[in-house]
Amino acid sequence: MVDIATSLNYLIAFFSLFSLNVFILLYLKHRNDYHKPLKRTGWTPLVSIVMPAYNEEKYIVPSIRTLLDLDYPKDRLELIIVDDGSTDNTYRVAKAFEGQNLHVFTKQNGGKGAALNFGLKKAKGELVATMDADSYVTRNTIRELIPYFSDKDVMAVTPAVKIRESGSWLKEFQRVEYLMILFSRKLLSFIDSVPVTPGPFSLFRREVFDKIGYFDEHNLVEDQEIALRIQAANFKIRSSMTADVYTEPPDNMKDLISQRVRWQRGGIRNYWKYRHMIRPEYGDFGMYFVPLNFAALTAFFLLLGLLAYSVLTTPYYVQYIWFDAMGMDVTFVTFVGTIVILTSTFFLWLAVQSYGNEKVKLRYLASFLIFYWYIMVGYNVLFLFKELKREQYSW
Amino acid sequence: MKRTVSVPIYAAAFAISLAIFLVGIYIGTLIDQANIRSISDDVSNISEKVASIQLLLLAEGNSSAFCPVYSSSLDSIDGDVERIGYKLTYLEDEKGVYDAELKKKYFIVEAESYLLSQKVRSLCGDDSVLLINFYSNADCERCRDQGVEILKARDALSSSGIDVKLFSFDGEIGSPVAEAFAMQYNVTSYPSVVINGRTYGGFKGSDDLQAYIKVNK
Repeated sequence: MVDIATSLNYLIAFFSLFSLNVFILLYLKHRNDYHKPLKRTGWTPLVSIVMPAYNEEKYIVPSIRTLLDLDYPKDRLELIIVDDGSTDNTYRVAKAFEGQNLHVFTKQNGGKGAALNFGLKKAKGELVATMDADSYVTRNTIRELIPYFSDKDVMAVTPAVKIRESGSWLKEFQRVEYLMILFSRKLLSFIDSVPVTPGPFSLFRREVFDKIGYFDEHNLVEDQEIALRIQAANFKIRSSMTADVYTEPPDNMKDLISQRVRWQRGGIRNYWKYRHMIRPEYGDFGMYFVPLNFAALTAFFLLLGLLAYSVLTTPYYVQYIWFDAMGMDVTFVTFVGTIVILTSTFFLWLAVQSYGNEKVKLRYLASFLIFYWYIMVGYNVLFLFKELKREQYSW
Repeated sequence: MKRTVSVPIYAAAFAISLAIFLVGIYIGTLIDQANIRSISDDVSNISEKVASIQLLLLAEGNSSAFCPVYSSSLDSIDGDVERIGYKLTYLEDEKGVYDAELKKKYFIVEAESYLLSQKVRSLCGDDSVLLINFYSNADCERCRDQGVEILKARDALSSSGIDVKLFSFDGEIGSPVAEAFAMQYNVTSYPSVVINGRTYGGFKGSDDLQAYIKVNK
């Protein structure tokens, strides 16, 4: 068993190192055009923005105000707010903003996917954005995203979804995570492997919905499923680093874990649904990114199992030589593990320093490096537990 | 859109990861060797300490005047010998690092330490219990469990003031000292436990061991 455990440790260490190196090499290769915004064109298509809202009376007003403040011709902008049967004052509050280019609808509660589809079917724009009611666009968002559509294969563009600096440990923790996810997503766009069109804000070419269908109303992470469907149809998704959109993250651990369990459950099922893409004709997305997700999850649980095995099988006598045993444990795997941790830290540093306008305090970066693993353990164990229990989805 | 696989990126990432791995393997080997060297140095240091006690015993004959010196020195030596044994076992079991010559050298020091403890016990009326654990790494399913039971018994008895000094010998490693001890105590199978000179063959649980220790105290 020791030999199997050691071999698995070697395998996981190599896999982690390899995956990190791929991302770092992608960065090095594209570092010069990483931040470069596309040249703006004079094209001003009609843009519809669909915002589903369920019990969002707390956030929807500032969210609508940022939309009204967008730097884009008002007669080329259509705002559609869909109240998904809220039990609070969301509908009434939104209705107060109704005007010539802002329409507010209400419908029976049916989930986010259904509300999005309801709004999309009403949208007239050549480009259509989907947006969460607790997200805030910056003035230049639309103008920064539009030039990507000059490539006819581009069906969706994702902005830089971020979290505002707040001083709350949990929010700052997620802010660092979002910056890292954003950094990774941009790197993935260089190999045509963007796996999600984020719910907080994404801009689509209207025709894509006619070609591949609307949002899956029964999916736990519909914003990922639609992106995978776009990839499966061999269309492009691009990622902008110059169009900032801010979103509200969960403000307590319970909501955060619950959100991540939902992402994980929905996410892995979506990758399983699109496993047929693991073929050379799907390029990097099929041959690297989809398998990477399965491998990463497998490696994570293997590592967890190996750690548990190592703790449970610690020989009785080790209590007399704890310090010596720790010293003797500094061997090959520790060395490679240290390299993996250092490389991850370097990757995180690259991610954070790549945003000139985002400053993160050192203490939050340090706590992210230290505690992220534990939060991942928490939601992944819960994810596994719910999957094994075959617990029903809920949204 | 026509898709491609970025083979150069993956090949470069693979090569870099492999290079780090090879460096890791080399450093790991160096660390293992350093661990073995450090244990070997410890064994040599203990050997010197044992030699100085032997010299004192030879010089003073059967005088009990130096008993306090013998006792305190032996307590320290026995503790060190036991810890080195654990370190060797840890390296062997958990890291797969094995050095037969070092182990034989260690058994010689352990045997010296045991014989000195036996001598001091009779000379100074020391009531410590001397326990030898005969084991085999070659073919003994219960030997590992026996080691755990012995430690549990020792820990349980220490609360009632009974001091048990542990010595362990691998009887099948080809160490002349270990084989001589096994012959002296009629050890024919593994695991076997010798408590103050009395041999108990076969696996014994912690409760049984505590009872045997009390009987042979």
